[in-house]
Amino acid sequence: MELGRKIARALEAATFERVAAVGLANAEVNRPRIARSVLELAETPLGTGETAIVVGAGPSLRRRRSLERLRASGFAGTVVAADGALGACLRAGVVPHVVVSVDPHPERIVRWFGNPALTAAPADDYFRRQEMDPAHREDELSANRALVELVDAYGPKIKVAAATSAAPAVVERCEQAGMELYWWNPMYDDYDRADSLSRRLWKMNGLPCLNGGGNVGTAAWVVTHAVLGRRRIGLVGIDLGYAPGTPYEQTQYYPELVELLGDRYREAFIHTESPVTREIWFSDPAYHWFRDVFLEMAREAGCETFNCTEGGLLEGPGITTVPLDTFLETAATPPGKDRLDG
Amino acid sequence: MPEFLKGNYKVAATIEDKAEAADSTDAFEKKALSRLGGSICFVSKKGLIWKGEMQPAAGAAAAGEATTRTASRATHDDNGDKDKVGGAGTKDSPRA
Repeated sequence: MELGRKIARALEAATFERVAAVGLANAEVNRPRIARSVLELAETPLGTGETAIVVGAGPSLRRRRSLERLRASGFAGTVVAADGALGACLRAGVVPHVVVSVDPHPERIVRWFGNPALTAAPADDYFRRQEMDPAHREDELSANRALVELVDAYGPKIKVAAATSAAPAVVERCEQAGMELYWWNPMYDDYDRADSLSRRLWKMNGLPCLNGGGNVGTAAWVVTHAVLGRRRIGLVGIDLGYAPGTPYEQTQYYPELVELLGDRYREAFIHTESPVTREIWFSDPAYHWFRDVFLEMAREAGCETFNCTEGGLLEGPGITTVPLDTFLETAATPPGKDRLDG
Repeated sequence: MPEFLKGNYKVAATIEDKAEAADSTDAFEKKALSRLGGSICFVSKKGLIWKGEMQPAAGAAAAGEATTRTASRATHDDNGDKDKVGGAGTKDSPRA
């Protein structure tokens, strides 16, 4: 078995090791700020109909100008974004109804909402190094300032589906920007076990537990279907892979792979030809695992999931691949319900 | 048994405790692997959502400590079917 796939098989347990302790600690800190359950979002007016678009922060978002096309279409359904895609959405004039945030990292994630406290480029090169959002790579401080202004301006129109694991700095920033928070617990383990952490959390705060699928993009899809009840879901920017030509150094887990494997780190990358675009995209063990998990969840879910990324690696049973324009043409767009601000 | 296998002589070679070395390698690998994990867990063979269980009247207040509306809605949402993706909007249990 290839090294990358072998590592990927260990990541369900590894993710628990990575996030459980800090996620539970954050749940304790966030507890006094929890006022609404995510279930209340289902009763809140969002987009019309049963159709939704879930926006991830993958490279196809820019390569295919997905957000600009979404905005131009006048799509009236629900728009749910991963926190990492919020900046790209607002810069493109798309104000998502809901933003999903899960990552417990104490310092990084607040940057997706614009960090008003950032006055100098941080030592952590997470945003500069990666391919996720080029705006941050080119001029970190200017990009942050612009994002602070955008989030301050549009925050009151955006609801946040916040996992109790979310970093307290993110919660504070969202509240400061006038965003309403709706809370849920990450499902950490099998809630049928007597010693389950998920069960313990539910007993503590009464919030539902959502199966997050390993990453915030998949969690956004879970919120869209299992909480909001949308049954026709288009995906943009959910590539679960890296675009052709991306240097390994710009991939999300590069430092960790080098630390784990040394000179053999290249062997951890998995290259795959897209049957639709014929391009060779690639994944690392984490993205490969995310993809497998998404396919497993989508196969069993009672919604139709359309991959409108026009790129990426998310293909398989349970996923219909379709151009974004085709998906948008077939979505119900009643007049006067335009959510896409210009 | 090890008592009977003891030699009555000394060997020149130093024998390392492999178990300790293996433990340390395992610990390193576990730590390194955990840094490769995702930002949120995935629990296989469970539903997309679990809303908790029906609470007896006395227990409801405790469960709903943070969000009283949530407690009032707490339901056993997986219908006992642990191998299917349960919860709202699934093939097997349409969203109410």
